Amino acid sequence: MSNVKFMNPFVEAASEVLKAEVQAEVRRGTLSLQKASLTTDDVTVLISLVGEVQGVVLYGFSVETCLAIVSRITEQEFKEFDNLAQSGIAELGNVITGRATIKLSESGYRSNISPPTLIHGRGIQISTLDFSRIVVPLVTEFGDIVVHLALRESPPGAGDHNFVPISIP
Amino acid sequence: MNVKYLIPFVEAAYEVLQAEANVQMQRGQLALDKGAYITDEITVILSLVGDVLGMVFYSMSEETALKIVSGVLGEELKEMDALAQSGVAELGNVITGRASVKLSHTGFESTISPPTLMIGKGALISTLDIPRLVVPLKGDPGELTIHLALVESPNKGVSSAKLAVPSAPIIKLKD
Repeated sequence: MSNVKFMNPFVEAASEVLKAEVQAEVRRGTLSLQKASLTTDDVTVLISLVGEVQGVVLYGFSVETCLAIVSRITEQEFKEFDNLAQSGIAELGNVITGRATIKLSESGYRSNISPPTLIHGRGIQISTLDFSRIVVPLVTEFGDIVVHLALRESPPGAGDHNFVPISIP
Repeated sequence: MNVKYLIPFVEAAYEVLQAEANVQMQRGQLALDKGAYITDEITVILSLVGDVLGMVFYSMSEETALKIVSGVLGEELKEMDALAQSGVAELGNVITGRASVKLSHTGFESTISPPTLMIGKGALISTLDIPRLVVPLKGDPGELTIHLALVESPNKGVSSAKLAVPSAPIIKLKD
């Protein structure tokens, strides 16, 4: 079961990072809890958390939003979603997630994050299996950034073995 | 990308597929790929965090996934339903878990993330500046490809000391 207390650190971190990097005001859209698999937007950045809180965080963007954000960060106009733009948007996900984990550790949930993975392709199904996702759209002047949080507290003793057990429905 | 991370994954995949699904797999031609990976029908993604850092993908066709999961469960599955999805993700989880135990024996402690499953052909997955080592495994169920995008963590051994705690006091007190 995904937990709402994990959401605020991510929303705060995203607001702070976007404000600092692209001077954008962020407004939170309507929250939802989703159990079914998600169908990707143009670009998805995937980062895993491992530690006292575990799971996957996904950031969904349209290509236009990515290009607008990366253009603003690097102060040069991007027309194409090339390697540099991909790297930039993945780094944005990385910075937001890193900042969020610092906030999470302040509230007692320490975790480490994986390097980002970038998925470019619309309409692919991504399933987080038995992790339900909190979906938070962040509305900015560049377009929407949809944050999917599939996180849970690690079960006690999870550190004793090296994998996460998954229940079969 | 370091080839020393490869053997634990190949061994773990052999052992798990042999034990769980009773299939023998043959290793195909290795490749180092710097470009993005174009997804096959089914991709299981896991991350490793620790002394070794990065992502592991297991990619296969839907047919292969169904055959392997049918073998594991001992019943014929015809479609990629929730049970089959869970089964194939769990398989990735078990292989990676086993590989990470083997890696820890060579001095690389790591923790693995829960698996994420991608269904859909033709998306691009980029591991950015981490190149991928690609290892196809071939056997009766078809082809299962392991993609390893792993690097040694710059903080290896820094974040925490891992001291074995003895189960009994070492010093015996005389009474």
